[in-house]
Amino acid sequence: MEAIVRDVTEKNGNTAALASNVMAKQYDVLFRLLLLGDSGVGKTCLLCRFTDNEFHPSHISTIGVDFKMKTLVIDGIKVRTQIWDTAGQERYQTITKQYYRRAQGIFLVYDITSERSFQHIMKWASDVDEYAPEKVQKILVGNKSDEVDKRQVATEQGVKLAKAYGMDFFETSAFTNHNITESFTRLAEQVLAANRKDLDLLRMSVNDELDLSALEEEEGLCDRMRDDQQKGCWC
Amino acid sequence: SSSNSSFSRELRDDLVHSSSHTASNKAQILTMPQFNLRDNLIKCELLKNEDQYTYLEDFSIFLGTYNVNGQAPKESLSPWLNSTVLPPDMYCIGFQELDLSKEAFFFNDTPKEMEWTNAVGRALHPDAKYALVKLVRLVGIMLIFYVKKEHAEFISVVEAETVGTGIMGRMGNKGAVAIRFLFHNSSICVVNSHLAAHIEEYERRNQDYKDICSRLQFRQLDPTQPPVTIMKHDAVLWIGDLNYRITDLDVSSVKELIDKKDFETLHRIPLLFLQFHFKDVKFMQHQAEAFTITNDGQVPCQFEFITKPNEPTYCKPWLTANPPKGFIAQGASVDVELEVFVNRSTAPKLNSGAEEIEDILVLHLERGKDYFIPVTGNYLSSCYGTSILSLCNLKEPVQEMPQETLRKLVSAEMSLGENAVSTEKPLDIPKELWMMVDHLFRNAIKQEDIFQQPGLRSEFAEIRDCLDTGIPDSLPGSNHSVAEALLLFLDALPEPVVPYSFYPQCLENCSSASQCEKIISMLPRCHENVFNYLAAFLRELLKNSASNRLDSKILATIFASLLLKSQKKQDLGEKRKTQEFFHHFLVQGPS
Repeated sequence: MEAIVRDVTEKNGNTAALASNVMAKQYDVLFRLLLLGDSGVGKTCLLCRFTDNEFHPSHISTIGVDFKMKTLVIDGIKVRTQIWDTAGQERYQTITKQYYRRAQGIFLVYDITSERSFQHIMKWASDVDEYAPEKVQKILVGNKSDEVDKRQVATEQGVKLAKAYGMDFFETSAFTNHNITESFTRLAEQVLAANRKDLDLLRMSVNDELDLSALEEEEGLCDRMRDDQQKGCWC
Repeated sequence: SSSNSSFSRELRDDLVHSSSHTASNKAQILTMPQFNLRDNLIKCELLKNEDQYTYLEDFSIFLGTYNVNGQAPKESLSPWLNSTVLPPDMYCIGFQELDLSKEAFFFNDTPKEMEWTNAVGRALHPDAKYALVKLVRLVGIMLIFYVKKEHAEFISVVEAETVGTGIMGRMGNKGAVAIRFLFHNSSICVVNSHLAAHIEEYERRNQDYKDICSRLQFRQLDPTQPPVTIMKHDAVLWIGDLNYRITDLDVSSVKELIDKKDFETLHRIPLLFLQFHFKDVKFMQHQAEAFTITNDGQVPCQFEFITKPNEPTYCKPWLTANPPKGFIAQGASVDVELEVFVNRSTAPKLNSGAEEIEDILVLHLERGKDYFIPVTGNYLSSCYGTSILSLCNLKEPVQEMPQETLRKLVSAEMSLGENAVSTEKPLDIPKELWMMVDHLFRNAIKQEDIFQQPGLRSEFAEIRDCLDTGIPDSLPGSNHSVAEALLLFLDALPEPVVPYSFYPQCLENCSSASQCEKIISMLPRCHENVFNYLAAFLRELLKNSASNRLDSKILATIFASLLLKSQKKQDLGEKRKTQEFFHHFLVQGPS
């Protein structure tokens, strides 16, 4: 029979150099944003429109948690946004809640053609209060604004709810690309503003690029060490 | 057996940097728990350029197997082991039926081990020096692994495991032993098995083979890594007394057919819509579904099923995913198998409806998305894993009852104990137990080797279904299958016949027959009935020991381990005390 014999001493140096090149960061700060809302309100479509400027009309339920990245420039700062798309179906909610605590910004999304999805915003918002960090920034989004004939939730209702929660509000359409960039940029601005103090402090000590989520990652590790039961990560 | 420890560390350090060879192995080479992108990239580059630093070399391994039928070595083994011109690089020598005595069977202790090992050692090829790397034995099944002295430093991670497939799937008169090791960068597993005898028993042999493949698992040095099964090696060498016979074909046509064999390729499922439903899950009935994870991305990827909050493991105890984590190079795939198996520890809550076949697996891709994989199923309740008390209160077969009834019974029992439940008089003993014992009493009282030969898994399934769905006049399957079904029933009881709380005083008083009887008289009524009923049946069996070849020691060994259980691991001394306890009831009836 044959056995495999290896000598691995030579190649290591080169590949390590390659790896560090790839790792070089081309942004100043990284934020984690999270899309929440009932199944079918268009979370995945909003994300695809924002990051890839694409629209896929057929509805394929997200079964899991996925993210896409996009870099925005706000006040001359390169903000890398990592936007997490979550499964909206109820059966997965105990699991998806575990992703909240690592978010700095959250989109609460409903569908203007679904009264039910609007009513559920209360439930989503209270889960966010319970599971997300205290400082998390929120924004209310009523999607599918192009479907005027099927509208069940008036714009005023959205405005009123947003006001009650102290959130900004946008009606969007992933289909017509209405208010997409605006809403994503607004949330990113809010997150930036909320973390401004920390950022400036950090900037004074390290004039290099910084990575809010990387700082969090260390925190996360500690969390994990405290909690023996949790294996793997929920990033 | 001391030759491997000094160099294994160096070699392991090397391995951390190395990549692997076969697709199945790519999923496993992640020896480090947390991998970062840099490591992944390095690994990927190494994989791409594997040819530049890898070369293949041929080695010879002498494989030999010998069923010695309990005999001692009388003549030199040299004509057998020294039959090659050049000395082989390794020797893997397997024996079966090394020792047929009862002592070997029950206590796994035999002088024959030394005798045959010495005989092998003396007969190895004279032109080379060999080191004994590992020896492993299960009752009469032994495997010895020698390596030529100059290769010893390239052998590492040597592990040995055994698995019994005799009666109740545990006794070691049939089964397998295996040794795994790394030789340079190839992982090799050598298996020596003794499968069920008799030409018509192919079904049982197949069952033994499957059991060995699934139950023989090597633990890894890194405890976070899943255990390694036989088939997860670069090379598997399987020897033994397999007892298969091909009667209609000559050797050459058989070999030709093997060459032509086309292995079934696994069906690919797009990951997006993964969900699994296991229909009619039953006690001790294995069900499996597989899916493929393909890495169509540009970088290598690590996957892992991750633990959900407030849960101890990544999935429910009746479920496993194999492999639960791994590494996939770009363009490569890994097949993941999801298996459902309800055993004695998971059955009680499923029977009562306190738990359901329902779980969501979280498949995490390193630096990528998490997939949720819902697993659902319906469980068919069984008398297996249901308490004696509940069964005594059930006049109908378990599956005839609405599950609500069973659930209520169990919860009432938890809160109120024996005095709870119905106003109706309960049965003296569970009818299921009566059906099995009565069947054996009528049909198997003179059966040769009763309670010593295993039954067939397929017949167990029929017996279980029969007990759970009706009250038939007689049970299906052979006497041996019914006997094993009875043992499994006792083994699966959530509270043993002698309840855990009585166990310490049983040990304390095991030498006094009258004390032992007194303890039994204090058991909850239905437990006492079951105990006395079984003891009376076994005494009947012993009256026929000339035909069934049982003696009181064998029965005490088998039944004490089922009736007197400890919640902790028992040592040999404790086991002997439980046997002594039960033995009193086999030699004399209650006074």
